[in-house]
Amino acid sequence: MKITKMLLPALVAVAPFFYSCEQKTDVVESGTYQGTLHEVEPEKNEIYVKTDDNKLLELYFTETTTLTKNGETVPFAELKEGGKVEVEVEKTGQRLDPVAVRILE
Amino acid sequence: MNEPTFWRTEIWHPLSVHFPIAILLLATIAISIAGVTRGDQKFFWQKAGSYLLYLGALSAWVAIYTGDMADATVSRKICDPTVLKDHEIAAFNVAYLFSAAAMLNILINVNILKLWPKLLRLLVVVLMVIGAGYLTYAGHLGAQVVYNQAGGVNMPASDCAGF
Repeated sequence: MKITKMLLPALVAVAPFFYSCEQKTDVVESGTYQGTLHEVEPEKNEIYVKTDDNKLLELYFTETTTLTKNGETVPFAELKEGGKVEVEVEKTGQRLDPVAVRILE
Repeated sequence: MNEPTFWRTEIWHPLSVHFPIAILLLATIAISIAGVTRGDQKFFWQKAGSYLLYLGALSAWVAIYTGDMADATVSRKICDPTVLKDHEIAAFNVAYLFSAAAMLNILINVNILKLWPKLLRLLVVVLMVIGAGYLTYAGHLGAQVVYNQAGGVNMPASDCAGF
Protein backbone atom coordinates (compact mmCIF):
# COMPACT_ATOMS: atom_id res chain seq x y z
CA MET A 1 0.00 0.00 0.00
CA LYS A 2 2.73 2.41 1.05
CA ILE A 3 5.01 1.45 -1.83
CA THR A 4 2.11 1.79 -4.28
CA LYS A 5 1.46 5.30 -3.07
CA MET A 6 5.12 6.16 -3.55
CA LEU A 7 5.66 4.45 -6.92
CA LEU A 8 2.69 5.71 -8.88
CA PRO A 9 3.36 9.43 -8.38
CA ALA A 10 7.05 8.72 -9.04
CA LEU A 11 6.23 7.07 -12.39
CA VAL A 12 4.02 9.99 -13.37
CA ALA A 13 6.61 12.52 -12.20
CA VAL A 14 9.48 11.12 -14.28
CA ALA A 15 7.45 10.78 -17.48
CA PRO A 16 8.08 14.37 -18.71
CA PHE A 17 11.82 13.89 -18.20
CA PHE A 18 11.70 10.82 -20.46
CA TYR A 19 9.95 12.86 -23.13
CA SER A 20 12.33 15.80 -22.95
CA CYS A 21 15.47 13.71 -23.52
CA GLU A 22 15.37 14.26 -27.27
CA GLN A 23 14.81 17.61 -28.95
CA LYS A 24 13.82 18.66 -32.43
CA THR A 25 16.47 20.58 -34.35
CA ASP A 26 16.15 23.50 -36.78
CA VAL A 27 17.21 24.06 -40.37
CA VAL A 28 18.55 27.50 -41.34
CA GLU A 29 19.76 29.08 -44.58
CA SER A 30 23.44 28.98 -45.55
CA GLY A 31 25.37 31.61 -43.64
CA THR A 32 27.29 32.42 -40.49
CA TYR A 33 25.70 32.12 -37.07
CA GLN A 34 26.86 32.70 -33.52
CA GLY A 35 25.69 30.72 -30.54
CA THR A 36 26.61 28.49 -27.63
CA LEU A 37 27.54 24.82 -27.68
CA HIS A 38 24.46 23.04 -26.37
CA GLU A 39 25.95 19.55 -26.72
CA VAL A 40 29.23 18.06 -27.93
CA GLU A 41 29.50 14.43 -29.09
CA PRO A 42 33.20 13.70 -29.71
CA GLU A 43 32.63 10.07 -30.76
CA LYS A 44 30.52 11.28 -33.70
CA ASN A 45 32.36 14.58 -34.35
CA GLU A 46 29.00 16.21 -33.85
CA ILE A 47 27.91 19.44 -32.14
CA TYR A 48 24.60 21.07 -31.27
CA VAL A 49 24.68 24.84 -31.41
CA LYS A 50 22.00 27.01 -29.83
CA THR A 51 21.99 30.19 -31.91
CA ASP A 52 21.41 33.64 -30.50
CA ASP A 53 17.88 33.60 -31.95
CA ASN A 54 17.20 30.34 -30.06
CA LYS A 55 17.48 27.86 -32.93
CA LEU A 56 19.11 24.47 -32.33
CA LEU A 57 21.49 23.41 -35.11
CA GLU A 58 22.76 19.84 -35.31
CA LEU A 59 26.09 19.83 -37.12
CA TYR A 60 28.13 16.82 -38.16
CA PHE A 61 31.71 17.70 -39.01
CA THR A 62 32.77 16.69 -42.51
CA GLU A 63 36.26 15.98 -43.81
CA THR A 64 36.53 19.60 -44.93
CA THR A 65 35.16 21.33 -41.81
CA THR A 66 37.72 23.63 -40.24
CA LEU A 67 37.88 24.20 -36.51
CA THR A 68 39.82 27.22 -35.32
CA LYS A 69 40.45 29.33 -32.22
CA ASN A 70 42.13 32.73 -32.54
CA GLY A 71 42.87 31.88 -36.16
CA GLU A 72 44.70 28.63 -35.39
CA THR A 73 43.49 25.13 -36.08
CA VAL A 74 42.59 23.27 -32.90
CA PRO A 75 41.49 19.66 -32.19
CA PHE A 76 37.82 18.71 -31.65
CA ALA A 77 38.52 18.25 -27.92
CA GLU A 78 38.73 22.05 -27.61
CA LEU A 79 34.95 22.25 -27.99
CA LYS A 80 33.25 22.45 -24.60
CA GLU A 81 29.57 22.55 -23.79
CA GLY A 82 28.47 26.09 -22.96
CA GLY A 83 31.28 27.61 -25.01
CA LYS A 84 30.61 30.41 -27.49
CA VAL A 85 31.15 29.59 -31.17
CA GLU A 86 30.64 31.02 -34.63
CA VAL A 87 29.62 28.53 -37.31
CA GLU A 88 29.56 28.91 -41.06
CA VAL A 89 27.06 26.44 -42.49
CA GLU A 90 26.08 25.38 -45.97
CA LYS A 91 22.55 24.17 -46.50
CA THR A 92 22.35 21.20 -48.87
CA GLY A 93 18.75 20.07 -49.22
CA GLN A 94 17.66 20.17 -45.57
CA ARG A 95 21.11 19.13 -44.34
CA LEU A 96 23.46 21.61 -42.70
CA ASP A 97 27.13 21.01 -43.41
CA PRO A 98 29.51 22.99 -41.21
CA VAL A 99 32.12 24.68 -43.39
CA ALA A 100 33.94 26.40 -40.52
CA VAL A 101 33.59 26.43 -36.75
CA ARG A 102 35.35 29.18 -34.83
CA ILE A 103 35.67 29.02 -31.05
CA LEU A 104 35.04 32.50 -29.65
CA GLU A 105 35.54 31.91 -25.92
CA MET B 1 35.17 -8.57 -58.74
CA ASN B 2 35.38 -6.33 -55.70
CA GLU B 3 31.93 -5.86 -54.12
CA PRO B 4 31.49 -3.19 -51.40
CA THR B 5 31.68 -4.43 -47.81
CA PHE B 6 28.26 -5.50 -46.51
CA TRP B 7 29.00 -5.34 -42.78
CA ARG B 8 29.08 -1.57 -42.53
CA THR B 9 28.28 0.18 -39.21
CA GLU B 10 24.87 1.38 -40.43
CA ILE B 11 23.78 -2.15 -41.37
CA TRP B 12 23.43 -3.29 -37.73
CA HIS B 13 20.35 -1.11 -37.25
CA PRO B 14 18.11 -2.69 -39.94
CA LEU B 15 19.36 -6.08 -38.80
CA SER B 16 18.25 -5.47 -35.20
CA VAL B 17 15.27 -3.13 -35.54
CA HIS B 18 12.76 -5.56 -37.03
CA PHE B 19 12.73 -7.80 -33.94
CA PRO B 20 11.22 -5.16 -31.60
CA ILE B 21 8.79 -4.05 -34.33
CA ALA B 22 7.32 -7.54 -34.62
CA ILE B 23 7.64 -8.52 -30.95
CA LEU B 24 6.17 -5.32 -29.49
CA LEU B 25 3.21 -5.27 -31.87
CA LEU B 26 2.50 -8.93 -31.02
CA ALA B 27 2.87 -8.12 -27.31
CA THR B 28 0.32 -5.30 -27.64
CA ILE B 29 -2.14 -7.63 -29.38
CA ALA B 30 -1.61 -10.43 -26.82
CA ILE B 31 -1.99 -8.17 -23.76
CA SER B 32 -5.07 -6.53 -25.32
CA ILE B 33 -6.64 -9.96 -25.93
CA ALA B 34 -5.87 -10.87 -22.29
CA GLY B 35 -7.90 -7.84 -21.28
CA VAL B 36 -11.08 -9.14 -22.91
CA THR B 37 -10.77 -12.89 -22.15
CA ARG B 38 -11.28 -14.93 -18.98
CA GLY B 39 -9.92 -18.02 -17.22
CA ASP B 40 -7.24 -20.12 -18.91
CA GLN B 41 -7.33 -18.04 -22.09
CA LYS B 42 -6.69 -14.84 -20.13
CA PHE B 43 -3.81 -16.52 -18.28
CA PHE B 44 -2.28 -17.72 -21.57
CA TRP B 45 -2.50 -14.36 -23.37
CA GLN B 46 -1.32 -12.45 -20.30
CA LYS B 47 1.69 -14.74 -19.91
CA ALA B 48 2.56 -14.73 -23.64
CA GLY B 49 2.07 -10.95 -23.87
CA SER B 50 4.22 -10.35 -20.79
CA TYR B 51 7.18 -12.36 -22.12
CA LEU B 52 6.88 -10.68 -25.52
CA LEU B 53 6.74 -7.29 -23.81
CA TYR B 54 9.92 -7.92 -21.77
CA LEU B 55 11.79 -9.26 -24.80
CA GLY B 56 10.49 -6.47 -27.03
CA ALA B 57 11.38 -3.69 -24.57
CA LEU B 58 14.90 -5.08 -24.25
CA SER B 59 15.35 -5.43 -28.01
CA ALA B 60 13.99 -1.88 -28.49
CA TRP B 61 16.97 -0.54 -26.53
CA VAL B 62 19.32 -2.68 -28.66
CA ALA B 63 17.73 -1.08 -31.75
CA ILE B 64 18.18 2.38 -30.19
CA TYR B 65 21.85 1.59 -29.65
CA THR B 66 22.41 0.36 -33.22
CA GLY B 67 20.37 3.31 -34.52
CA ASP B 68 22.70 5.68 -32.70
CA MET B 69 25.64 3.90 -34.36
CA ALA B 70 24.04 4.33 -37.81
CA ASP B 71 23.10 7.96 -37.16
CA ALA B 72 26.67 9.25 -37.41
CA THR B 73 27.07 7.78 -40.91
CA VAL B 74 23.58 8.29 -42.32
CA SER B 75 23.10 11.89 -41.11
CA ARG B 76 26.13 13.02 -43.11
CA LYS B 77 24.76 11.58 -46.38
CA ILE B 78 21.00 12.05 -46.53
CA CYS B 79 19.34 15.22 -47.86
CA ASP B 80 16.89 15.76 -44.98
CA PRO B 81 18.28 14.69 -41.58
CA THR B 82 15.23 16.26 -39.87
CA VAL B 83 13.30 13.10 -40.83
CA LEU B 84 15.99 11.04 -39.14
CA LYS B 85 15.71 13.23 -36.03
CA ASP B 86 11.93 12.73 -35.91
CA HIS B 87 12.53 8.99 -36.37
CA GLU B 88 14.95 9.05 -33.43
CA ILE B 89 12.53 10.98 -31.18
CA ALA B 90 9.66 8.59 -32.03
CA ALA B 91 11.93 5.59 -31.40
CA PHE B 92 12.91 6.91 -27.96
CA ASN B 93 9.21 7.38 -27.16
CA VAL B 94 8.61 3.74 -28.17
CA ALA B 95 11.42 2.49 -25.94
CA TYR B 96 10.34 4.58 -22.95
CA LEU B 97 6.64 3.74 -23.26
CA PHE B 98 7.17 -0.02 -23.60
CA SER B 99 9.83 0.00 -20.87
CA ALA B 100 7.37 1.78 -18.55
CA ALA B 101 4.70 -0.78 -19.49
CA ALA B 102 7.14 -3.64 -18.82
CA MET B 103 8.15 -2.22 -15.42
CA LEU B 104 4.54 -1.67 -14.44
CA ASN B 105 3.63 -5.17 -15.61
CA ILE B 106 6.43 -6.68 -13.51
CA LEU B 107 5.34 -4.70 -10.43
CA ILE B 108 1.76 -5.97 -10.88
CA ASN B 109 2.82 -9.59 -11.53
CA VAL B 110 5.09 -9.81 -8.46
CA ASN B 111 2.32 -8.26 -6.34
CA ILE B 112 4.23 -5.13 -5.38
CA LEU B 113 1.41 -3.03 -6.78
CA LYS B 114 -1.78 -4.45 -5.26
CA LEU B 115 -3.98 -1.40 -5.41
CA TRP B 116 -6.45 -1.01 -8.33
CA PRO B 117 -5.19 -4.08 -10.29
CA LYS B 118 -7.72 -3.66 -13.12
CA LEU B 119 -6.89 0.01 -13.53
CA LEU B 120 -3.17 -0.70 -13.56
CA ARG B 121 -3.58 -3.50 -16.13
CA LEU B 122 -5.56 -1.04 -18.24
CA LEU B 123 -2.72 1.49 -17.85
CA VAL B 124 -0.27 -1.14 -19.19
CA VAL B 125 -2.50 -1.67 -22.25
CA VAL B 126 -2.84 2.09 -22.78
CA LEU B 127 0.95 2.59 -22.61
CA MET B 128 1.44 -0.27 -25.08
CA VAL B 129 -1.20 1.01 -27.52
CA ILE B 130 0.35 4.51 -27.50
CA GLY B 131 3.77 2.85 -27.87
CA ALA B 132 2.48 0.83 -30.84
CA GLY B 133 1.30 4.10 -32.42
CA TYR B 134 4.76 5.64 -32.03
CA LEU B 135 6.27 2.37 -33.28
CA THR B 136 4.24 2.60 -36.49
CA TYR B 137 5.21 6.27 -36.90
CA ALA B 138 8.90 5.53 -36.23
CA GLY B 139 8.78 2.70 -38.76
CA HIS B 140 7.18 4.99 -41.35
CA LEU B 141 9.91 7.61 -40.84
CA GLY B 142 12.62 4.92 -40.93
CA ALA B 143 11.23 3.70 -44.25
CA GLN B 144 11.27 7.29 -45.55
CA VAL B 145 14.95 7.59 -44.64
CA VAL B 146 15.76 4.36 -46.48
CA TYR B 147 13.43 4.46 -49.50
CA ASN B 148 13.24 8.23 -50.16
CA GLN B 149 16.75 9.23 -49.16
CA ALA B 150 18.72 5.99 -49.52
CA GLY B 151 19.92 6.22 -45.90
CA GLY B 152 22.30 3.36 -45.11
CA VAL B 153 22.06 2.09 -48.68
CA ASN B 154 25.10 1.52 -50.86
CA MET B 155 24.66 3.34 -54.17
CA PRO B 156 26.39 1.42 -56.96
CA ALA B 157 28.08 3.38 -59.74
CA SER B 158 26.01 3.79 -62.92
CA ASP B 159 28.32 1.34 -64.71
CA CYS B 160 28.00 -1.13 -61.78
CA ALA B 161 31.75 -0.99 -61.23
CA GLY B 162 32.75 -3.20 -58.33
CA PHE B 163 30.13 -5.87 -59.06
